Amino acid sequence: MDKVIKLTKIFLKNSFSNMDARMGISTKSKSKIIVYGLLFLYFAGLIIFLGYNLLDGLIAIHQETIFVGMILFMIFGLVIIQTIFSCINILYFTKDSEYLLPLPLKPYQIILARTNVMLIAEYLIIFLVGFIPLIMYGILTGAGIIYYLTAIFAVILVPILPVLLISIIVMFIMSFAKLTKNRNKFQLFATLLVLAIIIALSISTSGMKQDLTNEEMAQMIVKANGMIELVKGYVPTVDYLMEALTTNSLFTAIVEILKTLGITIVGFILYMVIAQKIYFKGLVGNLFGGGTSSSNKEINQKEYRNSKLYKSYVGKEFKNMARNPVFLMQCLLPAILIPIVMVVVVFAGFNSDGMGLEQITQMLQQMPTNTFFIACIILGVIQFFTMFIYISITAISRDGENAVFMKYIPVSLYKQYMYKIIPNIIMNIVTIIVTLGIAQYLLNLPIMTLIALFVVATIMGIFQSIVMIIVDLKRPKLNWDSEYAVAKQNLNLIFPMLLAMFNIAIMVGLVFLLKDINVYLGIGILGILYIVTTVITNKYLYNKQYELADKII
Amino acid sequence: MIEIKNVSKSYVKGKKSVENLNLEIKNGEIFGFLGPNGAGKTTTIRMITGILNIDEGDILIDGKSIKREPLEAKKNFGFVPDSPDMFLKLKGIEYLMFMADVYDVPQNKRKEKIEELTKKFGIYNELNNQIQSYSHGMRQKIVICGALLSEPKNWILDEPMTGLDPKSSYDLKEMMREHARSGKTVFFSTHILEVAEKLCDRVGIINKGKLVFVGTFDEMKQKFKENASLEDLFLEITEK
Repeated sequence: MDKVIKLTKIFLKNSFSNMDARMGISTKSKSKIIVYGLLFLYFAGLIIFLGYNLLDGLIAIHQETIFVGMILFMIFGLVIIQTIFSCINILYFTKDSEYLLPLPLKPYQIILARTNVMLIAEYLIIFLVGFIPLIMYGILTGAGIIYYLTAIFAVILVPILPVLLISIIVMFIMSFAKLTKNRNKFQLFATLLVLAIIIALSISTSGMKQDLTNEEMAQMIVKANGMIELVKGYVPTVDYLMEALTTNSLFTAIVEILKTLGITIVGFILYMVIAQKIYFKGLVGNLFGGGTSSSNKEINQKEYRNSKLYKSYVGKEFKNMARNPVFLMQCLLPAILIPIVMVVVVFAGFNSDGMGLEQITQMLQQMPTNTFFIACIILGVIQFFTMFIYISITAISRDGENAVFMKYIPVSLYKQYMYKIIPNIIMNIVTIIVTLGIAQYLLNLPIMTLIALFVVATIMGIFQSIVMIIVDLKRPKLNWDSEYAVAKQNLNLIFPMLLAMFNIAIMVGLVFLLKDINVYLGIGILGILYIVTTVITNKYLYNKQYELADKII
Repeated sequence: MIEIKNVSKSYVKGKKSVENLNLEIKNGEIFGFLGPNGAGKTTTIRMITGILNIDEGDILIDGKSIKREPLEAKKNFGFVPDSPDMFLKLKGIEYLMFMADVYDVPQNKRKEKIEELTKKFGIYNELNNQIQSYSHGMRQKIVICGALLSEPKNWILDEPMTGLDPKSSYDLKEMMREHARSGKTVFFSTHILEVAEKLCDRVGIINKGKLVFVGTFDEMKQKFKENASLEDLFLEITEK
């Protein structure tokens, strides 16, 4: 067991270590702790706010126990989705597997350590989205000590089975299917599957209205309760823990926890038996099994055609992202998917309200829409959507240790930074066009307003792209094990969000300051403001191009 | 020609990783850069190629300072880094065409040069596949092809033989000889003493950041022990 703990520690250190360690900077620096603390407080605050609103509503109609079921199922579902993405990387594609196999370690030790890494990663998130709402439930319902102890057990036990289940499925696929010799195809398939589930969920929940009548609320609760009843038949541990968390009897709580513990232990034993038989077959096959499929077809003469350097460089950036499922999902797809999901949700929402879309647009268009206030709302929505496009903020880190390439080729660093942010600007423009298209449909704005909004939103997009590459240059994450470290476990990803909030705050300020200003004048002032900041930021990038690259070594 | 003039570099204040290095690699010369692990070889190569800033001194590539005229200096060399795991998502042909665009290789020369190099290294038939499907040796070969595509005057190679099969290793050595015979420069680091002995016109040995020997093997033997093997000489120089 000692070796398992040591291995787990090594794996965790390996996956969370980054450039700082290589540069000799203490990972426990104060600034890092402050940033982590702020990040935690932000998300905890958000979760408390959302959870409180929901729970408050349920308590008012004496249906608060549904909240517990919802939280437990959310933990279960979230763990499944997270594990689909992470387990193939952790089990099969971390670089250390090749060095691990020749070591005198027993198979169960490696499997246990890998499983621990997956579970620990889940617990970090579950603490936020699961434990905090359960504590809140306890406080608001005046629960006793038994409840809190049971809640701790619930948070520890619920994620185990889904992690084991998904891991076993992945191990089976990796052992038998030829498809999985190609990691990219597997990940892309998993990504699209999860996306389909998320979109389906968005559509199915989009019918919810804000102002529900008591009758509608009751119907919705019956529906939610029915769904929980239906699903919990397949997930007995959640069923038992729901019972344990909502009972007043200590004996019932202990019995239900023991039942959950029993099922989890049986599941764990089965997992270890099956995993020891199939995991290494797939791992060895993946490490030494010939890699990706190959093609021997003749090179097309068109391939030899030369192109301008900027086209070639930007094309390389796009190919690198499009052919890598993690980067595809985090960098390129959000630009298209987020507005589309919004369209689907908004349209489905309107229709299920019984109010036709035409009626809504007619109603909106009767209001004064061509105002600075509405223009700022549209720009704010664009800011919200574009903050999920992580192209520029990962522009340097995506190259990993290869980023040094930038420094020995005869192309100026400033030019290369520009080539790297062009994809971000392009994807921003895609989002802007989609969002303005929706706005136009709903509000029927004058063409001049649309053009003005497009120009200002694009300038803001350029500003965001430049700022984000500066952030990535100052805090690059080059020493990574899998793409996940760059596109997910990267603290820098908070910066696009912070900048979007800052931009929205500026617009809110301007709306208050310039209350009845003409829409074009208002947009013009905003445009000039962002042109000036973009020019200043760009000048900084140009002047500091060499100093900013100091961390790329 | 590569000129290294009074170059020093520190990562940590007060501790020099490379100290007052002076070297001149002349045209028509194959120069081997030797030294134990952590001696300063890679730091030196990174300063020559502009990856690392130079604290003191200067480096000139065909008379162009890597400090003051970095772009001009970088046009004068082709570099093969120690890790060949580059641009794994690109196909071999895409990587080479990208390098051709970066180094402005003329349109009419591209096809001929790519075919010549990749056929010599036996990877022509793999060019339509993504580099991530290549073995370590094949990745090393594609990176070498990319560096030599623009026919640079100066070759700077960091451990170029690592992962190469005997045939490719032989071919690369022949190409290095041919390149030097045509009056150009080859500067490479290696741990394989036999390769250095057979291939290099001169070698430089660096230890603890200081250049402890520069010259031919004959000069090394004269200076130290006449009948000792190269391995013994290397150990004696670096363990002093």
